[in-house]
Amino acid sequence: MDGDMRKRRDDMDGDKRKRRDMDRDKRKRRDMDGNKRKHWDEWLSSPYLWILPSLLLMFIVIFIPIVELFMTSFSTISLAGVRKGFNGLDNYVAIFQDDTFYLVLKNTLVWTIFVVGISTALSMGIAVLLNRKFPGRKIVRAALIVPWAVSLIITAAIWKWILDYNYGTFNYLFTKLNIINENIYWLANPSLSFPAMIGVGIFVTIPFTSFVLLSGLQSISNDLYEAASVDGADGWGKFWRITLPLLKQPLTVSLVLNTIYVFNSFPIIWTMTQGDPVNKTDTVITYLYKLAFQSSKMGEAAAVSVISFLILLMFTLFYVYMTFRKESS
Amino acid sequence: MPYFKLWKFSTLIIAYLLCIMLLFPYVVMLITSLKSPSEVYNIPPTFLPTEWTFSNFVDIWQVIPLSTYILNTIWIAAGATIVALLCSIPAAYVLSRINFRGKRLYLYLVLITQMFSPIVLLVGLYRVIHWLGLMDSVWGLILVNAAFTQAFAIWLLTGYFSTIPRELEQAAWIDGCTKFQALRKVVLPLAVPGIITTVIFVFVMAWNEFVVALTIISSDESRPLTVGIHAFFGKFDVQWQYLFATSLVAVIPVVILFLAIEKYLVSGLTSGGVKD
Repeated sequence: MDGDMRKRRDDMDGDKRKRRDMDRDKRKRRDMDGNKRKHWDEWLSSPYLWILPSLLLMFIVIFIPIVELFMTSFSTISLAGVRKGFNGLDNYVAIFQDDTFYLVLKNTLVWTIFVVGISTALSMGIAVLLNRKFPGRKIVRAALIVPWAVSLIITAAIWKWILDYNYGTFNYLFTKLNIINENIYWLANPSLSFPAMIGVGIFVTIPFTSFVLLSGLQSISNDLYEAASVDGADGWGKFWRITLPLLKQPLTVSLVLNTIYVFNSFPIIWTMTQGDPVNKTDTVITYLYKLAFQSSKMGEAAAVSVISFLILLMFTLFYVYMTFRKESS
Repeated sequence: MPYFKLWKFSTLIIAYLLCIMLLFPYVVMLITSLKSPSEVYNIPPTFLPTEWTFSNFVDIWQVIPLSTYILNTIWIAAGATIVALLCSIPAAYVLSRINFRGKRLYLYLVLITQMFSPIVLLVGLYRVIHWLGLMDSVWGLILVNAAFTQAFAIWLLTGYFSTIPRELEQAAWIDGCTKFQALRKVVLPLAVPGIITTVIFVFVMAWNEFVVALTIISSDESRPLTVGIHAFFGKFDVQWQYLFATSLVAVIPVVILFLAIEKYLVSGLTSGGVKD
């Protein structure tokens, strides 16, 4: 698949040209084999037929809604959901004139950075831990799968119960252990409920991140560590000089995917506080849901979606750039 | 060497503490689901049930139309799995076998779909589903779940198909098989582990999906479990014992399924970005 692109690229430097010629040689060699030659010709007319079903599915469910989303964001939508013509930037102006938007944007930023940052750091430790051999490692790995497999809506509901003021397990345990004298309102005050929800976000983000980093660690050859030991490196030295540089790729992937997942997260906040009190714990995502399906402001909700979409697209382009840069190097 | 022993010991302690912390909420769920309604709202609260109540697991089938919810969820998850496979297998196969013009563009598109969760597109999605006449229908959810898992399915299956030697199909072609027959009779049987992984992943994702179902489903007849359990969040109080008993029923199958495919999960989610 590199072939087409390379051929079209005119401004190739010597190095790349050499590589292209090598590619061409390889292809020629393949062509000399009669069977393979026939195989390639037969396929050429039809590969599009083979990708058509998946393309169609993604087109209907993902690409048309994207177009529809953009159109809606520039339109007046009646309460019944009928488009009543374009209104230019009215929806965007309404959004940007409302202070709530800046509040939820700030919340989203805090939410994403803290959840992704802390869970990545913790997952790094967990991955290193699980890369060691110890009795019961299989059980710990299995336990790590659980928060990933369970529906977020259920995990969030459990945490809401654990943090309940009167009956919650946390207040009960902390009182028993004499850590607190009176019950804490975990979810009533945003200065406590937002960090609590970030904690739940971290809890559900750790499994995926740990497994990605663990699979990265397992691909690092033990010889490197042994050689470093011979050269007199200590544990930290090995971590900084060998583990971390070689984990760059899985780290990038998990950071980018997590940023997107966490930014998009809805069930935790929806279950635990619904953004209350007065939007103080809303993120962009719960805010746009409320706009669309509680306040019936479809146009403004679409405008918020488009803004989120553009923020995510920036991450996506970064991800694509990282992916294909690696591939061609 | 005492230092070495200490190091090993601390590894163990941290690992087991981690295990406890990870399972803690789910243990609380289990314990609460075994308490009687009056004990759940007892002051001071109890940690373990004073009276183990198994009747919650019987009651939930009467309190909400649980069997309908479960059937809907199974229907949605199975439908999404079938649609996702039917679309991704041919695509992954052709991607693993030949180069063609536009392949890179196609891969970009797949990568982009992985970047967007349904929620950002929800307003657009809602309107498109409305047009298609799929409001309040499990079909809408089947299509949405199948589409948003295409990236995983395509990455994982392409990787899997690439490991199957081409010579096997070529032999089948020489014996007079068509391309499609060779795929069905030679390649697919060899790719069973990859297909099972894809099936389980799509199934679990569709099983757990919440936002789209919350938005487009309005009647009990087509409501899935994740939305259905919200019925226990009443206006003034939550029926925690029922909520958690139902949640356990919903959780156990997917945890078992996910455990079964543990070692393939990472490659499906990240091979769009990690090339070897």
